[in-house]
Amino acid sequence: MRISSGIAGVALVGLLAACGGDDGGDTTTATGGGGDDAAAYPTESIRMLVPYGAGGPTDLTTRTVGACLEEELGQTVVVENLPGGSGALATTELVGAEADGYTLSLVTAGTMVLTPLANEVGYTKDDITPVGVMTEVPSVLAVGDNSPYASAEDFFAAVEAEPGTVNVGTPGASTPQAIELQRLAEEHGVEVTAVPFNGNAEMTTALLGGNVDAVLINASSDVVQNIESGAFVPLVASPEERLSWLPDTPTFTELGYDGLTLSGSTFGLAGPAGLPDDVVSTLEDTLQTCLEKPEVQEQLGEEYVLEEFAGAEELAEVLDRTQEVYEPILG
Amino acid sequence: MGILEGIGTGFSVALDPTNLLYVFLGVLIGTVIGVLPGLGPTATIALLLPLTYEIEPVTAVILLAGIYYGSMYGGTITSVLLQLPGEAASVVTTFDGYQMAKQGRAGPALGIAAIGSWIGGTVSVIGLTLLAPPLADLAVEFGAPEYVALTALGILLVTYLGTRHPVKSLCMAALGLLLATMGQDLITGTTRFTFGQISLFDGLDFVAVAMGLFGVGEILYNVEQTEKAQAVKSKIKNIWPTKADFRASGWPIARGSVMGFFIGVLPGGGGVISSLASYATEKRVAKDPTRFGKGAIEGVAGPETANNASSTSAFIPLLTLGIPANVVLALIFGALLVQGITPGPQLISQEPEIFWGVIASMYIGNLMLLALNIPLVGFFVQLLRVRAGILAAFALLVTMAGVFSVNNDPFDMWVVLIFGIVGWLMKKTGFEPGPLVLAFVLGSILETNFRRAMLTSGGEFSIFFTRPMSGTLFALMALVIIISTVAGIRRRRQRSRPATPGEEDLAATGTTAEPEGTPGAENTDGTATDEASAQSDSGVGRDRS
Repeated sequence: MRISSGIAGVALVGLLAACGGDDGGDTTTATGGGGDDAAAYPTESIRMLVPYGAGGPTDLTTRTVGACLEEELGQTVVVENLPGGSGALATTELVGAEADGYTLSLVTAGTMVLTPLANEVGYTKDDITPVGVMTEVPSVLAVGDNSPYASAEDFFAAVEAEPGTVNVGTPGASTPQAIELQRLAEEHGVEVTAVPFNGNAEMTTALLGGNVDAVLINASSDVVQNIESGAFVPLVASPEERLSWLPDTPTFTELGYDGLTLSGSTFGLAGPAGLPDDVVSTLEDTLQTCLEKPEVQEQLGEEYVLEEFAGAEELAEVLDRTQEVYEPILG
Repeated sequence: MGILEGIGTGFSVALDPTNLLYVFLGVLIGTVIGVLPGLGPTATIALLLPLTYEIEPVTAVILLAGIYYGSMYGGTITSVLLQLPGEAASVVTTFDGYQMAKQGRAGPALGIAAIGSWIGGTVSVIGLTLLAPPLADLAVEFGAPEYVALTALGILLVTYLGTRHPVKSLCMAALGLLLATMGQDLITGTTRFTFGQISLFDGLDFVAVAMGLFGVGEILYNVEQTEKAQAVKSKIKNIWPTKADFRASGWPIARGSVMGFFIGVLPGGGGVISSLASYATEKRVAKDPTRFGKGAIEGVAGPETANNASSTSAFIPLLTLGIPANVVLALIFGALLVQGITPGPQLISQEPEIFWGVIASMYIGNLMLLALNIPLVGFFVQLLRVRAGILAAFALLVTMAGVFSVNNDPFDMWVVLIFGIVGWLMKKTGFEPGPLVLAFVLGSILETNFRRAMLTSGGEFSIFFTRPMSGTLFALMALVIIISTVAGIRRRRQRSRPATPGEEDLAATGTTAEPEGTPGAENTDGTATDEASAQSDSGVGRDRS
């Protein structure tokens, strides 16, 4: 079922892309412009939706990228926060919008894969057109500075000695982190007790107060600060390769827990399904230009901008892989 | 950061011209709404909340805090002059203040209230300065069982204390707890009672519920009252109290400061309870208790000092634990959450400029209030001429625009309207919205922490009693139940004696029907849950499904 709708989606994309291309061509000809199709877009202001409230990292990311897109594309970019429904409110708005490139949104594996799997929201990841990855925030498994576990080996040895007695905080019940711990138990037989909190601030307090033994936490700037100050000791990092700013911290993959690379958060940029190819490539190129600018990198946090730009295809891959892994668990 | 260094940082933030302006605006608005009967600090802050999203977090809290303690000053004016408490915490002031006014001593009554408020406020800020940092250190150790104990204590205190009808309050608290279960279950991630509405995935929005119950409910209720312009007959002269007045008020002010400070820290404490407690104490220690109710200056000085002291110390649990002690603080909590800041033990180290800036602004705000109140009393009284209808229409407009701006979701406007009507009906039937809103906010903290405690203990209930802090709190709760039952019986006996003058009239006007402007201890965590998740989540893409 899902596969067929996927194919239908792809077919639709192709169809619309063709139409879009034609339209673009017409416009260009009509206005006598000498540029290629992409030059026709954008001709009016662009809305960028944020599925979360103002002030958080998603908001910061979207606003930073939005400001740069505005500068590069010469059109006003309006960033709009539509929090609620675990991202479903903004995403519903996105998938219902015209596929013309004037409505875009920040997407994550959470809003595009987890939310639709866990709830009846009336959309799936196939209802969007991925544009590219803005930032990627990895997760780390961290303990407090006075923890008995000095290394990942100590930690896993303790867990295996007494399954279920080690408490690990996660940022919420159906966050990638919580699912990762579930996979750790199911696929690798390592059982910890996952304790869901409500965001990073609560988890940080719980870890510092010794009320959980460890946390699997998004390494956003507050956590980086705590790692730098020594209050948090990172034991394991979520990406496949070691993090450049945590060269001594092993990854789950290295430790033999294959496949546990999905607990980080990818903040992608996407439009509604059927976004014309030329619009996608214009946006993709502009996004790449933006992410290469030092001032943009600095605002986003250099550690969160991928060293190698990941465009539409790579973002689609991330979503597909997440869907594939999560569907049997949540579906 | 040491306390001295902290307070230095604080003053550098609070003395920033923008922040100075907002302190001034806050205390001015506070005084004005304190004067206007019906529109208390809770309703005002609920209505103004969305307007603060555009300003810096520290500035927003400075403004809202100013409104809160400012209203404590303003409420006195009408209590003394017209026997109409402008906000609930000043009810007690009508007993003796109005009598003083009738005897031509309105000036000294207002003067001593302003001075007492200033002293109480300042003593309390000093207490906050000294006690909050060590408390925050201690609070880091608090785990799920402690939060369960604290929130349960908060709900208990709010339903037991400061309400006229504990049974009605209990019903409202229960309703609040039920409403708190709507939306996503934080532990399993599934949604509950959403009726397929995406807008309900995160539960009802706390801001919308509070604005409806307090703001719109209050507006509807006031509009229904017969409008008549209030004329002030008493001449106000000799505001500066005489030496004899000072001598009589010295101890009441001292006792009021200390009592107000400690009562304010308790969940559900704040305004009314502290002034009632102070009045009762002064009456008890007085050489001639019969003077009370007939114009005793101690009966004005003590309670006015206490309500102001408590409105300041109520910030302690919010700034150190992230648990608001009453409804007003719940709203301020909400303002911070919307700004992406979760108050808690980390606040003092991660956001020192907010923590210390707000504290420093309180020193300044209290001075401003003293300066505002003594010479400008006559001016504030003129405000009573504003027609309720005009005020109501304007306030409603601001509310609707404001609530939409929080989430850009029209759904929230319906929530406000529906809860507005519910709030109005509750007021008419003598149910208080305070316990409902408090339980709504505390409910989600209580539930998630309870379940978290169960997770970590492997289902052992003993975790609540074996940890020293939560064990103590549960013992305290048992004590509160016993004491308040005993006190309730005793009070009932006392009631058979003639009621305190004024009380019945007040009840008759309906203005006072609600004992507390700040009735409930409130936590804004309701919001917290939604918003926190939205933000922190968003934070790092907390993707919750």
